[in-house]
Amino acid sequence: MAKGFTLWFTGLSASGKSTLAERVRDILLERGMNVEVLDGDVVRQNLSKGLGFSKEDRDINIRRIGFVCNLLTRNDVVAIGAAISPYKAIRDENRRLIGRFVVVYCKCDLDTLKERDPKGLYEKALQGEIKNFTGVSDPYEPPENAEVVVDTAKEDIEASVQKIIATLEQMSYIPATDGRGYSEEEEESIKQRLRDLGYI
Amino acid sequence: MRFLRRRKRRACVVGLDGVPFHLLKRLADTSVMPRTAGIIAEGGLRQMRAALPPVSSVSWSSFMTGANPAEHGIFGFTDVAPDSYQLRFPTFGDLAVPTFWDRLGESGLRCTVINQPATYPARRMPGAIVSGFVALQLANSVWPAEHLPALERIGYRIDVDSQKARQDPDGLLDDLEATLETRRQAARYFWERERWGYFQVVVTGTDRLHHFLWSAVEQEDDPRHDRAMSYYRAVDGFIGELWDWFHKEQPAGQEGEGFVLLSDHGFTGVRQDVRLNAWLRESGYLHYAKDDPTSVADIAPGTRAFALDPGRIHVNVKGRFGRGCVEPEDARELRDEIAGRLLQLECDGERAIARVFTREEIFEGHKLDLAPDLVAISRNGFDLKGTTKGSEVCADTHFQGMHTWEDAFVWSRLPVPDEPEIADLAGGIVEWLCG
Ligand SMILES: Nc1ncnc2c1ncn2[C@@H]1O[C@H](COP(=O)(O)OP(=O)(O)OP(=O)(O)O)[C@@H](O)[C@H]1O
Ligand SMILES: [Mg+2]
Repeated sequence: MAKGFTLWFTGLSASGKSTLAERVRDILLERGMNVEVLDGDVVRQNLSKGLGFSKEDRDINIRRIGFVCNLLTRNDVVAIGAAISPYKAIRDENRRLIGRFVVVYCKCDLDTLKERDPKGLYEKALQGEIKNFTGVSDPYEPPENAEVVVDTAKEDIEASVQKIIATLEQMSYIPATDGRGYSEEEEESIKQRLRDLGYI
Repeated sequence: MRFLRRRKRRACVVGLDGVPFHLLKRLADTSVMPRTAGIIAEGGLRQMRAALPPVSSVSWSSFMTGANPAEHGIFGFTDVAPDSYQLRFPTFGDLAVPTFWDRLGESGLRCTVINQPATYPARRMPGAIVSGFVALQLANSVWPAEHLPALERIGYRIDVDSQKARQDPDGLLDDLEATLETRRQAARYFWERERWGYFQVVVTGTDRLHHFLWSAVEQEDDPRHDRAMSYYRAVDGFIGELWDWFHKEQPAGQEGEGFVLLSDHGFTGVRQDVRLNAWLRESGYLHYAKDDPTSVADIAPGTRAFALDPGRIHVNVKGRFGRGCVEPEDARELRDEIAGRLLQLECDGERAIARVFTREEIFEGHKLDLAPDLVAISRNGFDLKGTTKGSEVCADTHFQGMHTWEDAFVWSRLPVPDEPEIADLAGGIVEWLCG
């Protein structure tokens, strides 16, 4: 049975892609899986060094990440892509290439992003110092077919991580944590409910 | 040449958990449920058998798969781990066959399913699902997760607070109404927002009302009768609303086609609990290793049979269970002996057991191994229990209502067999939508 798949994070800068990618990686590693993260920032320093932020260059960058994710996926590795990937067509192209492909859309409103601005990029973009800045002066096409949507402005990191892991379990990309199905705490709540109705 | 594209068929299924045939008919006849009365006026309302044992998880699993419990593998709200006898709680993931929604999905139809019991945790669906009882956290009850914020905005309630229900019956009635209202809003949300070919919503408040306030439903002089009826009026309004939404998009002349109303089991008043483990113990089949057993995990070696809720009896067969002591070749004889004696069991001066089925009579499928050896069905008024508490066999209960097997109902224009069982419906729905 195939074990590899690609978990593809998309969303604006500071929406939480890298943060969530790392958290999910750690959980999957702990569960004994082979995992690699291809983070946009890192890729642009090596695999895609020299590429800029024109539509053309962005597309090349995302295709390259997709290409590597595919190699990893077919070798039973969980490949995690974390790049803005603003264009739907290229994301869908990667989905077609890889097949076992799960999209996490990191949704976040602009006000929250500006407030976060961990790299000071929004401020610069708003003052016109950076051209082609996604969400400010460059387009972003939100996915309509994302398997998971996390709203990082509203939920905390833990909740977003939970959603992603739960979806991977539901879709059987990863085995559920516990063969018995429920944690001890959950079992207690279920017992209580069943008792309340006289079912046990 | 021009072809008129045949309009795609759609189906809308409304489940009323625990509503017996006779009650529905009476509420329709006495204009508590005028919309329902209108729907069933031209016939088509049928009494239907629940799955065995008649609890929601088993019966709804049979509905959603069209399969026998020994195929879908859900025999109750609980099972025991064969080695430790610890109770385990089957999840949606334990369902051993695909749902008919999966089959519809393969034919390109999208399904929206709201509050179907025994679908927790929610999983990928061709469409959208909101799990019903025993769903815990809403976040794990919704697939795809993108619908979660909308449900949170609605203040969606999975279930009423049954823990409070006993002490505060009026609070329960408030809770029932509020929960139904969020269900209605969720239905509206999905109705408008999802492209679907199959839509299903289950009302579970009816079952809760019956457990705690059956006499308010049944007795006109009960102080809460009016409120119970007004809950049913609200349920009727919801049914009417779904009917209207459905027909807005339905070509004329096809009134009711594809619309299905059903319940998953019946209900009746309860007089006494019948504790099967206490009876097995008294009859010499069961021994405990502790004075104060908390579950069947506390049975002592030498135990030949034990019971699980509601009327499931397992023979403690060697090889099948960790502390099994009955030789496989002796199991049948023992089981038949227990069945015979059970039929004699009396509470309150009356026979309490109506029928005892053997596993071969009622179960068939690749999960037969997990099936109980016997399933007992009680006479109305006697509620079978698998508890290990208490040493008296017949005991008072704080509940007012109990499940029944033979008087669930179905209303549908689709072909339904003469003596329908809940598992029979899936085939007809799939056939009609895809055939
Ligand atoms: N639910 C959440 N999920 C992820 N991050 C969150 C969440 N809530 C708040 N945050 C915060 O948002 C910030 C997200 O920054 P992160 O570097 O992960 O963004 P990014 O999408 O990788 O951006 P870039 O495209 O610039 O690399 C972090 O500071 C993180 O702590
Ligand atoms: Mg990043």
